This record gives sequence, C-alpha cells and structure tokens, in this order.
Amino acid sequence: MPPIAQYVFNGVVTGGILALPAVAFSLLWRLLRFPNFAVSTYLTVGAYVALVLNHGVRASIELAWLGALVVTGALALLVDRIAFRPMRDRRPFSLAIASIGVAFVLENVVRFVWGNDFRSYDVPVTRGMSVAGLRIGRDQLLILGVAVVLMALAQAFLLRTRLGIAMRATADNPRLAAVKGVPTERVIALATLGGGGLAGGAGVFLGLDASIDPLMGGGLIISVFAAAILGGIGSAPGALAGALIVGIMEEVGMLVVPPTYKTAIGFTIILAVLLVRPTGLAGARS
Amino acid sequence: MTALLEVHELSAGYGDSDILHGLSLRVDDGELVAVIGPNGAGKSTLLKTLAGLVRPRSGRIALRGADITGAGTRRIVASGLCYVPQEANVFPSLSVWENLTIGAWTAPGASNERARAVVDLFPVLAERRRARAGTLSGGERQMLAMAMALMVEPRLLLLDEPSAGLAPALQRLVFDRVREINARGLGILLVEQNARESLALCQRAYVLAMGRVRAEGAGGALRDDPEIRRLYLGG
Ligand SMILES: Nc1ncnc2c1ncn2[C@@H]1O[C@H](COP(=O)(O)OP(=O)(O)OP(=O)(O)O)[C@@H](O)[C@H]1O
Ligand SMILES: [Mg+2]
Repeated sequence: MPPIAQYVFNGVVTGGILALPAVAFSLLWRLLRFPNFAVSTYLTVGAYVALVLNHGVRASIELAWLGALVVTGALALLVDRIAFRPMRDRRPFSLAIASIGVAFVLENVVRFVWGNDFRSYDVPVTRGMSVAGLRIGRDQLLILGVAVVLMALAQAFLLRTRLGIAMRATADNPRLAAVKGVPTERVIALATLGGGGLAGGAGVFLGLDASIDPLMGGGLIISVFAAAILGGIGSAPGALAGALIVGIMEEVGMLVVPPTYKTAIGFTIILAVLLVRPTGLAGARS
Repeated sequence: MTALLEVHELSAGYGDSDILHGLSLRVDDGELVAVIGPNGAGKSTLLKTLAGLVRPRSGRIALRGADITGAGTRRIVASGLCYVPQEANVFPSLSVWENLTIGAWTAPGASNERARAVVDLFPVLAERRRARAGTLSGGERQMLAMAMALMVEPRLLLLDEPSAGLAPALQRLVFDRVREINARGLGILLVEQNARESLALCQRAYVLAMGRVRAEGAGGALRDDPEIRRLYLGG
C-alpha cells in the first residue's frame, strides 16, 4: 500500500484542479446570487473540446487546452444569454434549478455525440519521478503549477484592476454599481467568460490526470460546492484553500471509506461548514 | 434660461401601481432645492426615477435642456446627474479608496486629483482610505457616499436623506457639507426627513404628498406657512 503522503500529494493535485471551477462557482454565485450547478459540467465540455482538437486535428495538448478554455468560456456566455439573463430578477432557487437543467442538457449532448466510453488524450508518455518514495507525474506538477498561476492571476485581476474592482462592486450591489455608470451586464459577461474558461481548462487537466467521460464534471459538483462554501462564497483565495482541503480529504478518505462513498466526504464537509462556520474560511463577507 | 433640471408631469411607479402622479418641478443652476413630505410620499421614488433606476411611465425629464426621459443609468450619470441613495449607498466589501474609484467610473481621467480634492472636503476619508466601507460608522459612510458622487464633478446632486440615522452633531456636519458643495455652484435636490433643517438650508422647496406636489415656494415662506407647519412640521 502506498504511504499516506502519496494520498496527500494526489489530493493536492486534485485540489489544484478543483480550485478552478470552485473559484468560478464562488465568484459567479456572489455576482449573480445563485449557485450555478452547470459550472462543473463545463469541465466535461472543456475536456471534450480538447479531445476533438487533440484527436481530430492532431493539436498538441497545450493548444487543445487553450482551445478548451476559449470555447468553454464562449459556451458559458451563450448559456448565460439564453438561460440565465432572461431570469436575472428571479429568485435564486429558480435560477439554481435552471442551472441543473442546463447541466443535464449539456451532459446528454456530450453523451449523445461521443457515447459513454472512457477516453484519453494522445500525449507523449512521460516517465514519472520518484521523490522520497512518492510517485510524482510531470503532468501533475505542470497541472498544479498552471492552476496556481491561474488562481494568482484571477486574484490580481480582482484586487488590482479597475475592472476587477468593478466586478466586486457589482457583486456587492448591482444597482448602486449601475447608478455609478458601471456596465454591470458587461461585467457579468466577463465573469461568465472567465469562469467558463477556468472550468473548461480544469476539465482538460482532469482528463489528463484521470480519464474523460460524460459524467466526469457533473460528478464533481458536490466537491466544487464544498470547496466554494468552505472557502467562503466570493473569495478566490478561499476557494483555492477550500479546494485543496476537499481534494486532500477526499483522497485520504479513500483509506477509510470505499471509493463509492467519495461523494459522501464532500457532503460531510458541506454539512460541517454550514453548521460550524456558514461564512466559510474567508470570514464574514456575504 | 434653461433649467438645470426640468421635470414635467412625471408619472412612475413599481409594477402596475403608480407612485408619482404627474409631478412637475425644476432646479436651476447652482440652486439648492429641498423636497419634503410624509413617509411614503414618493420622495425616494422621485430620485430613483431621475437616476434611471425606475422607468418613467409618462412625462418628461430634461437635464440642461437635453431630454433624458427613460435614459439608462450610465447615460444619466455621464451627463452630470449624480444620485446618492438613502440606503446601501456604498460598496461594503470595497475599501474607501476603491469606492471612490468606482465613483469616478464615468470620468476616470485625473481621478487621483479629484479624489484629493474630495478628501479635502471629508478629511476623515483620508485616514480611513484602506478601511472596508462596511466597517465605517454611519457618519463616515454618509460622507463616503457623497464623496463618491463628487468624483465625477456632477452638475446636479440628488441626495436622499443624507442625515437619516445620524447623531445631531453629525447631522450638522452633513448639512454644512451640503451647503459648502452648493456654494461651489453645484445644483442639489435634497430629500429630507428633517424638514426644518432642510427648509432653512434650501433656496426653494417642494412639499410632496401621495406622489403629487402639494406646495412649493421659498424655504422660509414654506416654513412660516401655518398650513404646512400643521401638516408637515408637527405644529
Ligand atoms: N421597490 C418597491 N416596490 C414596490 N413598491 C415600492 C418600492 N419602493 C417603494 N415602494 C412604495 O412606494 C411608495 C413610495 O415610497 P418612497 O420610498 O418613494 O417614499 P418616501 O417618500 O421616500 O418615504 P420615506 O420618507 O419613508 O423614505 C410607498 O408606498 C412604498 O411602499
Ligand atoms: Mg425615502
């Protein structure tokens, strides 16, 4: 049996991947005031977009990753225009249900076109490294590095740029932002594009780290949800921390509970946060 | 002379019900005009409609002769009309400085100089520039809300109950600042609970009730009118 450190390392990689949709989910929740359950399905979309590019036109995986980022972002924007924008003033509950509908449709389109088989990318085989008894894949390190850089960029955007400040202002109070002249619908479009892109990119990572199938993203919704509320809704660094904790707990949890109960770990985290500290790690915003 | 703001027969409301019924008023350049009236008279609705948050159902709104009836919030603020809401008038999770940045959204050039000028008027904001607006006291929050509006050098300021909920000393400070801003040549439309104070401050005033103008005139004249005193100033 591999040492516990191996599970922790795998959990960190899973957490790094999870952090991208968790940030998207968390920021969109704060901006639009409803949990968008379609976000985790955008991982599936991104993974299959990259698959088409990688298998279909023999694009390198790096290029396919970029393509997935762009196409998934654009799809998220299209979904927002068609499904969510006309419902902007509805209650969060209605919007959340609509997002489940969107996830269902997207998942079944993927299933219809590509079937239920597990697939994988054509990538050059790399030898893993062995460090202090741990198996560490080069892909894993790369994935982790890119995920951390993307998170840092997202955070810098939110804190340091004029548009980032406007995004936080719109999340705080959209009517006041509009009164000050902020183009709130354009801010929402940008967040949707960025969030969709992050989730799509994460889908490719997940496909590289594990495999590609129509349920790969949707199956993560509990983990994404848990990471976001653990971190505190609307906090990018919080979502990163939350994702790492959820990733590690889910992997290490495999030592004690059978893999079929992996989802239960996410559920338990959600319940614990709601009971103990509903505002999450990042504190009393909301 | 064209008025700074001219409102003609304005009707507006929420959903199916009208709150404002054919209301007319004007503000001239550099004038401080007060709007008083009982709770639910439609004072806040009037300001929201002027700011573009509530769509007018009929009537006409003109700013320096230009028709802005039914215009969006962006166009309205860009044409020099700035609105300070009664509640939730700052962004709580943003720092004081970031709030001012958003205040200057439609006029980002030279926003640093303007921020310095605005902070001269409200020195407390300089001390607290890095604090989250949500942590400010009621008085500081009101100062920040007014400062944000001044960041675009508007021609007309709409203030909705800037003194509400403040201790008397702070109320006096707020009214002093309103007077000072007006002395610099800005037109102000001031909605106030504190009718005595605002009638003393303004050049002209309108008394609103049930979405209609019930009386108008010079502040002093309204204050001395026995009917107005009895109905709106508590004897
Ligand atoms: N968002 C809204 N939706 C529906 N009705 C509203 C809304 N806001 C205000 N009203 C109603 O419109 C009427 C006028 O409200 P408004 O806030 O304009 O009064 P006001 O003169 O500002 O009163 P106050 O002195 O209490 O601030 C009230 O009857 C109120 O219930
Ligand atoms: Mg009011």
